[in-house]
Formats: sequence, structure tokens, C-alpha cells
Amino acid sequence: MYRSLIYVAGVTQMREPTFLILTALAGGSRHGYGIIQEVTALSAARVTLLPGTLYTALDRLSAQGLVEPDHEEVVDGRLRRYYRLTSTGLDALQSETARLRQLATAAETRLRALHPRTA
Amino acid sequence: MPPTGDPLARRYRRLLLAYPPGYRRERGEEIVGLLLDCVPAGRARPTLREAADLVRAGLRCRLGRPVSRTVGVWAVLTALICGLFTGALAARAAWETSRPQPDRAEFAAAFAEAFPGHRLGEDVSTARALFVIYGQPLSRASLRSLLLGDGGEYQEGVAGGSATGPMPASEAQTLATAQQRLRDAGWQVYEPTSEVLQTCADPRCDPASQPVETVLVARRGDTVLRATFDDPRTYSSYLGVELQRAAPPAVLPAAVLAGLVGGALAWLVFAWVSRRTEGRRRAPLLLLGVTLFFWWAPVLLATSSLARHHLDEPHPSWHPLWEWLGQPTLSLFFLLGLASALMLLLTAVTPRRDPRPLTVRLG
Repeated sequence: MYRSLIYVAGVTQMREPTFLILTALAGGSRHGYGIIQEVTALSAARVTLLPGTLYTALDRLSAQGLVEPDHEEVVDGRLRRYYRLTSTGLDALQSETARLRQLATAAETRLRALHPRTA
Repeated sequence: MPPTGDPLARRYRRLLLAYPPGYRRERGEEIVGLLLDCVPAGRARPTLREAADLVRAGLRCRLGRPVSRTVGVWAVLTALICGLFTGALAARAAWETSRPQPDRAEFAAAFAEAFPGHRLGEDVSTARALFVIYGQPLSRASLRSLLLGDGGEYQEGVAGGSATGPMPASEAQTLATAQQRLRDAGWQVYEPTSEVLQTCADPRCDPASQPVETVLVARRGDTVLRATFDDPRTYSSYLGVELQRAAPPAVLPAAVLAGLVGGALAWLVFAWVSRRTEGRRRAPLLLLGVTLFFWWAPVLLATSSLARHHLDEPHPSWHPLWEWLGQPTLSLFFLLGLASALMLLLTAVTPRRDPRPLTVRLG
């Protein structure tokens, strides 16, 4: 779980919903409903974003320059605005992914060493 | 655009009123479209979870500064203290529904009812108003004292007197008789409390020789009786009695309602100021910090002291809300906070200097 957004040695440590939104947008630009569906799928339905929460996060990510509006379309009389990752957003996602991978690798190493004793 | 006649869309738009108008104009239809995309077919009303999420997100959006993680805390502190102040003002106004403070006849009757055989001294004081400052009703002349340092003298009026002459019975006997007679007359009598008075600072003094003060509190209807038994060697009388009104029933609902309205309005004003001053870092934050310090510090001081006092003896009627906020005892703090808040508002009203002014070259 990612409890806060802090900069440690230039690396952004982000909350899990933020990480999932950026990951959802890494696959291409998406509208709000698309982001919600993708976040649900990525987290195996563990994280379900509500619309108000999603737009609070999108406003914050836009202000941080990680996300920007892409284009708009009207489907069935409903306005859909698409969002995409900026290059800064892509960098932040890559940094966070590397940080998580490093942590996961370290944990796996410890667990492998522990396994023969507990088995 | 979603059809405006759709009742669900209409209800969602109503919930979007939590967002600021500019945001609603820009993103309203997009959010309504998303909400309609998310609902299963046949639903006619937003769920409670959706409604709470939209209201929470809308109120947060009103604060602006989307990256800030502390602006919500400052907004809550501001709304809470403003709600408490407006609640206290409404409570004071609702006190006007109370009967006047007891007069001499009512006091004498209550004294005789509780303490038969004891002689009431001639010097019975009565209050000229529900609340008094230096024994006088609040007036334009005393407003200066109230606001500039002597606010602690503003207290609920009381009718008071003391027994005179020798004590006809022991303190324990008098106390037991009073409790029984008051109960028989329909008073709700609270358990008496006793406190050893520290009249000698020298550690060599024998604690057993220190005078003990016993307090008996009772309530009947809107009237509270407080009898204090003292050592006649220390005080001129062995028994002092006070009679005053309890808070009228209108006080609590008036304070709660006004508190909620005041808190909500304060949130809206805070949000407007926050959006207007976004990008201006130092002065608004400093003024907000000063305001909240001067408004919250008296609350923390008064609450801790009054809570201890409430635990020490029974209180059929709680001290008024403004006393819990340290007012008007520390009214100077309130005034300094108010001045800082007005300066903050002035900062928000003042147009921001454009960091990149438009320049036109001629020729």
C-alpha cells in the first residue's frame, strides 16, 4: 500500500490508486469510465474508483503535470473526455515501477532464504 | 449531452452542486456522463455511497489547490471554529427565552424550603439581567470592558444570600435535612461534593486542620440551587446559597442549527479565499495560521479548565458554549484573530498581479 506522495531521492512514492490510474493510462488514452474499468481489472476488483474520487485524482495528477486531457467525444448523448499520460507521468510511473520491483525482488530473496527453514 | 429529463441525471446534477460553479460548467456534463455509464440499468436514484463520494469530492474541489494534502485540514479547522462561534452566538440569543433570574421573594422561598430553622441574612443580592458584567446588565459603556480584557466578568446573573447567626444544627444534619426536604418538594438533588481548601501553603500545616467546603446542587424545572457549606471560622457565614436559571430548552437546538449553518458558510468562504489566493504562498498562509491560533488557543485553554471544573462538582446546567470557547474572557484573542481573518479576506479580494503582464510594442 502507498500511503503518501513524497519525493525520496527524486523518486515519487505514490498511493496505490494513483499508481493504478497511471498504469491504466499507460495503455493509451482513456475516458473516465475506461479508467475505472481498467483500474478494477488491474487490481483484480480490489480497488473500485468512484467518479468523485477519480476526478479528484485526475485534477491532482493534471496539476502535477502527470496527466493531460487528450480529446473529447459524445457517445449516446454523453460527453466523454479522454486523458493521457504526459512524458513526466510516464517517467513517474517508470520510477515507481522500478522502486516496487526492487522491493519485490528484495522480499522474494528473503522469502527464498527463509523457505527451507519453514518447510 | 445526457437528456435533461432523465430523473437520475437530474439527481446527479443536484449532487454536483457541491462542486464550484466554474468546475461544474467545465466538467459537469462529463462527470454526469461517467456516472450514468457506471450505473446498472433500471436504477433511478444515486446510491448513498455515490452521493457521499460526490459531495466529499465536490467540497474538496471547492478548496482548489488540488496537489495540497493539508488544505482540507485547514478548511475543517476553520469551518469548525466558525461553526462553534456562530453556535455560541445563537446560544446567547436563545438564552433570551429564559425567565428572568430569581428575585428576592423566590430566593427566600427556596432558602426556607431547603433550610428550615436557619436565618437568612438581610443582604440578599439579585441579578438585574440574565447575564451581567460587574453586576450590571451589558451596556454600550461596559462593551469596552467586555472586549478589551475584562470579559471574564461577564457571567450569568444569580440571586445569592447567606445564613446568619449561630448554626442551629450540625453541618451533616443540615445537609441531610436539606436533601430530604428538597427531594420532597420536587427538586432533583445531586450527590454533595467536598473539597479541602488549601488555606495554608506551608508543608508543615496539618491537612486535617484545613477547612472543608461542601457543595450541594439541586435542580427543579428551570432553576438551579447551589448551597455551599463553609467553616464559619474562615468565612463570615457557615452557609451560602445561590439560585439561578438553567439554560432554556431552546439553547441546544439553536446552537446546533446555527453551528451547522455557520460551519457550512465558513467552508464556502474558506474555499473561495483558497482558490483566490492560489499561487500566493506566504501572506495568506501566515494570516490563516495567525487567525486559527488566536481562535483555537482560547478554546483549548478554556475547555481543559472547564472540563476539570465540570468533573469536580455536579452541573445540572452546563456552562454556556461561549465559555467553553474562552469567550469573552479571552476576547482580545478573538479580536486579533478577527483582524487577521479580515486581512486575509482583503488579500483575497485584491486582484492578483499578473506574473506575465501583456506588453505591446509600438512602432
